[in-house]
Amino acid sequence: MLKKTLLPTILLILAYGFWVSPDFKEIAAGVSIFLFGMLFLEDGFKAFTGGVLEKLLQKTTNKTWKSLLFGVVSTSIMQSSSLVSVITISFISAGLVTLVAGIGIIFGANIGTTTGAWLVAAFGLKVKISAYAMPMLVFGIVLSFQKSKYLKGAGAVLAGLGFLFLGIHYMKEGFEAFKDSFDLASLAVAGYPGLFLFAAIGAAATVVMQSSHATLVLILTALAASQITYDNGLALAIGANVGTTITAIIGALSANVEGKRLAGAHLIFNVVTGVVAIAFISQFIWAVDVVSNSVGIADDNYTMKLAVFHTLFNLAGVLIMVPLIHRLSNFLIKSLPEKAKDLAEPLYLSEAAIEFPETVLKSLKKEVWHLFDSAFELMAHGINLHRTEILTSEDLEKTIDNDREVHEFDLDELYESKVKVLYSAIVDFISNAQAHMSSDFSEEMYRLRRAAGEIVECVKHIKHLRKNTTKYMLSDNEHIRDEYNKLRYQIAMILREIYRLRGEEDIDHAIAILEMDELKAEVQSAHADLDVRITEILRDDRITPIMATSLLNDFNYVDETSRHLLDTAQALLFSHSDLVAEAAQEVVLDEDEIEKASAA
Amino acid sequence: MKFSELVEKAEKLVGKHEKGKRIKPKKLGKLQQLLSDKKSRYEAKLAATDDPGKRQKLETRLRVVSAQLEKSRQLQAAD
Repeated sequence: MLKKTLLPTILLILAYGFWVSPDFKEIAAGVSIFLFGMLFLEDGFKAFTGGVLEKLLQKTTNKTWKSLLFGVVSTSIMQSSSLVSVITISFISAGLVTLVAGIGIIFGANIGTTTGAWLVAAFGLKVKISAYAMPMLVFGIVLSFQKSKYLKGAGAVLAGLGFLFLGIHYMKEGFEAFKDSFDLASLAVAGYPGLFLFAAIGAAATVVMQSSHATLVLILTALAASQITYDNGLALAIGANVGTTITAIIGALSANVEGKRLAGAHLIFNVVTGVVAIAFISQFIWAVDVVSNSVGIADDNYTMKLAVFHTLFNLAGVLIMVPLIHRLSNFLIKSLPEKAKDLAEPLYLSEAAIEFPETVLKSLKKEVWHLFDSAFELMAHGINLHRTEILTSEDLEKTIDNDREVHEFDLDELYESKVKVLYSAIVDFISNAQAHMSSDFSEEMYRLRRAAGEIVECVKHIKHLRKNTTKYMLSDNEHIRDEYNKLRYQIAMILREIYRLRGEEDIDHAIAILEMDELKAEVQSAHADLDVRITEILRDDRITPIMATSLLNDFNYVDETSRHLLDTAQALLFSHSDLVAEAAQEVVLDEDEIEKASAA
Repeated sequence: MKFSELVEKAEKLVGKHEKGKRIKPKKLGKLQQLLSDKKSRYEAKLAATDDPGKRQKLETRLRVVSAQLEKSRQLQAAD
């Protein structure tokens, strides 16, 4: 329920926000373009996986000092630690660098970003990265049309960066309206509360302006106008450092868990560094004075002193955190675990059962039924039906004709997690149990193993069948649609029969086993009927030759699936203790006998 | 015929031979009774319907049950 209403609610809130505030629209558009850029960037870097870039990154980040240096140099060039952290997140998401190396880059980026403070202090300006957005987008898109995998990748990286810059630009523009509402003088408070308050303001201002450099300019202006004290200015700089992590956090939204861990590392580093800087603010002020005096910076040159402070506390942060880099990595791995795959687990296979042949067979049969249930879900959804539609007593043909809903799911992934894992457990259990079984029981065990194998085959056939079934059940051509619905019907009908027999309380195993032969004959007849119908509708141009070929191929999958299902049911409905059922197993018709019986 | 299919057929034949000796005639007799009852039910249903689709299905099922009945008799005779 919540899942169904969440998306419409978000869309409505956004729509309302766009209606009432053009600034909000700009900010939201900025975030969207930014995330779009992240996706491009990840795709682009993936093109280089296993190539030159990977080797280069591995060589330049395989030691902590190297990754630190990488962060320092790249941030000094790009003049944005946020951008470097976002690119590093995409490196990690593409599997190009490890988490530890990524953390090293982030630490380095924090030192690299101090060069910006020096630039601001020295020249009062910064490199305007948004100016590169448009050319990058154009070059990126031109390159992404090329055939070469690497050119395409480079195009995606350029376009991604272009979108990132553009997104940041729109976010800044959107927040421009809030910029003037900061009246710092009215907030001046002495002591530690003031420090924490101004650190929070610095963080908020950086989040709003999407640039710690812009916050630095704001601090310098406020200092020059004596709106704030020197201490408060330092606290603002500390806060700006923390606020800059928001870009990485937004970037991590579209990243995998490794990317999220890196954003976490960035946040932890900047918060820890900030707390340390505030806690030891007196010592830092003393150190700034010592350094400033030694390099000839005047006592009242707050601009330069702020740059010294920025460099010193980031260096201190790196010195504190580098020895803890592996612990930080382990902490993040534990705190942000990989989402566990929803793996099916065997329910009845216990090591303790292996000693007793009767228990082995009972457990095994239950487990094969369990496998059948898992496969049933995939098969039903594979032919775009709900399990309940198959299991109820509603008219199946009508249900199928009316149900044109496509079930979106990853059949390959579910096959791995729900079918293959159980099949492997069954095969493993049988190989362990074999040594304890007499030939009488071995035969039954072999039959069950084959049944499990046939269930797996069924899912594989459904996988092949799914593409055209989904395509043609939605076709405007009623003839091909009807034929594909007949294929869906055949599988659904067999599944329904099997579950009906399984659910019978006083099931007559012998009759149930032999009834499967009747269904096999029906399948055989359906095959013959289909051949006649295809020739007819193809001759009358009611379907195209391509449709006819698809139908013939897919019918073979349905045919195989049906046989496997029925053979499996015959094995599973057999009861070792029922001697009439044992006799029925001998009377089960072979393929030739079925063919003979099905012919009119 | 593929080799795997050949092996499968051979396994089936060997299996049948071994198991054929094990089945008690009494159980086959019981099975024949069940099949005869079923055959009668299908015949009654066939007589009661004019729907060509249903008739075709019932006729197919009848032929299967008859073949199974015949097979069980042969097994009993061979025993």
